[in-house]
Amino acid sequence: MPDFLETTVDKFIFKVATDRLYTPEGVWALEDGDRIRVGVTDLVQQRSGDVAFAEVKAAGTVVATGDEVASIETIKTNVAVPSPIGGAIAEANPAMELTPEVINQDPYGEGWLAFIDPSDWATDRGALLDPQAYFVVMKAEAEEEAKKL
Amino acid sequence: MNPAGRKVMVVPCSGIGKTYGTVSREAAYEVTEDRRPGTTDLVALSLLVLGDEDARARVRAHPAVTIDGCKLACAAKMVRESGGHVAQDIAVLDVYRRNRELKPQGIAELNEGGQQLAHAVAAEIAAIVDDLISREEAPDHA
Repeated sequence: MPDFLETTVDKFIFKVATDRLYTPEGVWALEDGDRIRVGVTDLVQQRSGDVAFAEVKAAGTVVATGDEVASIETIKTNVAVPSPIGGAIAEANPAMELTPEVINQDPYGEGWLAFIDPSDWATDRGALLDPQAYFVVMKAEAEEEAKKL
Repeated sequence: MNPAGRKVMVVPCSGIGKTYGTVSREAAYEVTEDRRPGTTDLVALSLLVLGDEDARARVRAHPAVTIDGCKLACAAKMVRESGGHVAQDIAVLDVYRRNRELKPQGIAELNEGGQQLAHAVAAEIAAIVDDLISREEAPDHA
């Protein structure tokens, strides 16, 4: 169970797990042995709404940083999830087929999307944000969205 | 057949300005006006929120089928808070997951997929209503 940075904006609470790295778009990357586990952040799942379907690219698919690694359809929108790193998809979360709502319920845990075999993790990780840096980005985005409500 | 004069209350979520809320309301109208007008009544969620005594009395006196457009499940929560019994809560999203070809779009006016999804939701509710009405025992208010 990771620790979280947490902020409240309007009536919403947003969390950032402190044990992983992030893209500014709200995709996380977590070292897990030789592989990198990826998923979307709490802000992304809350902003996107209830998940109806999630489809992860098939195992073996080679992705570059920024390529779509998964697509998520929610009651509000369709979200293309850009890969935070380059590599080959090793495994898709099987929960995405039958219970994709775990993305809403547990975005940093059971709601992970895929494992990626990284092609150059040492380089890619340097381009990602640490939790504190992403927290600042996330908070600014959440506050900006709250103004629209 | 409704020899005992039993009724089922249909309570859709408000969901104003939201596609799934519109599906919820369209399905409720279809059930109460077209599919099962003799055995169902529509209860507006807003009346329950406002504490309207007549609306609260109706959900207390009859089993309710609620229709919710999102996980907040406002319709089901409000019926329970009003002292009513939710015989079944229908989540529009669950029905959509079983009918992926019926992707709803639009708010004031649903697209074809949304209208068909409303029909699918209404068909499920009609079956539930028939089942509730066919039971002879009194509704469980536990």
